Amino acid sequence: MTKPFIQIDDEVREMTDDELAAYEEQQANALAPLGE
Amino acid sequence: MATTTNYSWSTPDNTAYVKDGASAIRTLGSSVDTTLFTALGGAYPGLRLIKKQTIGTGVSSVSVTSAFSATYENYKILVTGGSASSTPDLNFSLDGITTGYYSSLRYSAYNSTTPQAISSANAASFAYTGSGSSGNLYADIEIKNPFAAKTKVVTGVLNNMVAGGAAGEMTGFNASTTSATAFTITPSAGTLTGGTIYVYGYGAS
Repeated sequence: MTKPFIQIDDEVREMTDDELAAYEEQQANALAPLGE
Repeated sequence: MATTTNYSWSTPDNTAYVKDGASAIRTLGSSVDTTLFTALGGAYPGLRLIKKQTIGTGVSSVSVTSAFSATYENYKILVTGGSASSTPDLNFSLDGITTGYYSSLRYSAYNSTTPQAISSANAASFAYTGSGSSGNLYADIEIKNPFAAKTKVVTGVLNNMVAGGAAGEMTGFNASTTSATAFTITPSAGTLTGGTIYVYGYGAS
């Protein structure tokens, strides 16, 4: 399964496992978006 | 001795000795330095564009490196154009600082005049620092001391840009004294495509 893409300056690539874990933790702890 | 037309900077005559060349260049350079400093009002005055980054296609986060340095203490970050896959809020974090973000948002829905507020404490990023919609991305972030070993202070604007959405102003802080050179913008849901991130520094000298 394709992992989410991360961009660092001009480089766009799939997240590493560590980056994905940090991203998922942040999303899980995020407040409900006001615009949803 | 010959001089330049507008500022009368001294330049060597055609008959000047080559052995005096180093001194002549030093004198000319100093004159240019002095004139520029006076004309601009400082070494790095005003609001200056530091970095411009185009956002890629379908990305879940965007990091901008080499944004902050000792040259400036305070910065403005704008995000415009592009689109989001849903209507997310844009979260903002400093690379190297993974926790301790405090955010508070005062807002109202576009179809209401009732003031509302929401906050997040000790989070992994600043919340509500911008917005995304199918037609645009929007952020107007001010950050104080991201590079300096001082508390980081942020203000931002949330604007859902949809009829049923909301708009308001956020403030936040992070007490970390870690020096950050880069930042990351992460949508609270979905992905971002296109648009541009502009980083400006406020002149300090």
